[in-house]
Amino acid sequence: MIKIVLIVLLAEIFTAIGQILLKKSANAADSYNLRRLDSHARFLADIFANPALWGGFLAMGIGLVVWIIALAQGDLSIVFPLGSLQYILILFGAHFFLGEKIDRMKVAGTFLVVFGIILITIS
Amino acid sequence: MKESHLTLKIFALIILNDLVDTLAQLLMKKGLIHTGISSVTFANILEFASRNASSLLLWMGVMIQILNFFIWIVILYKVDLSIAMPVGSTCYIFIPLAALIFLHENVGLLRWMGILLIILGIHFVSQSRSPKGDRPAQLRGKRPAEGAA
Repeated sequence: MIKIVLIVLLAEIFTAIGQILLKKSANAADSYNLRRLDSHARFLADIFANPALWGGFLAMGIGLVVWIIALAQGDLSIVFPLGSLQYILILFGAHFFLGEKIDRMKVAGTFLVVFGIILITIS
Repeated sequence: MKESHLTLKIFALIILNDLVDTLAQLLMKKGLIHTGISSVTFANILEFASRNASSLLLWMGVMIQILNFFIWIVILYKVDLSIAMPVGSTCYIFIPLAALIFLHENVGLLRWMGILLIILGIHFVSQSRSPKGDRPAQLRGKRPAEGAA
């Protein structure tokens, strides 16, 4: 039991790091007016040139592999609800590593979403 | 252009991202059902992989997931991750509903309650009006209080 919790947690940590790096690459992009098609192309060229994006892909890839190991080893009615921890990791990760402000509404909303996901996936 | 709180446009983009994700999940699930191997073990994992590698439905699902990444990165460009992430949980609503309609799976009371909690949670997050994050927390100096003359 404790083993599967640790495996899922490891998968969640890698996936959260991946999302944070993706967001970092998006933040680092110049200011674009995304109403125009050509600025979309330049925006994509900008983020694909950023190592943070590739680091994010790598972290998410590792996260996916660890997640599949968790799925193969653990009871799905434990693995899937535990997976919702990712939302909490990303909430605090976005605060500490991206400087995003969090207020009571975000915290309350995120925890409600997590409880909702637990209810959906526990059955 | 870049917003700290949820605007209707960004919300619509996140919903689109989740609907596309749901479509991809359905296609992949259909493909896997079609393959006809219900339990994967170390003994049959190669057969499982080779049979699914020729599944058109599965590949369509994977391709759609890759396209969906481009929607997600535009969302991340426009709004805080701590907003986009919880609002992006609507796929947990769409997937049971789609499974109910297209795969004839059961949606029990617990799942309906979970769907309700997620909707409530997204509503709470949408009410957040904290200023946009730009720099890491430790680098940020003190800012003058809002409304100070």
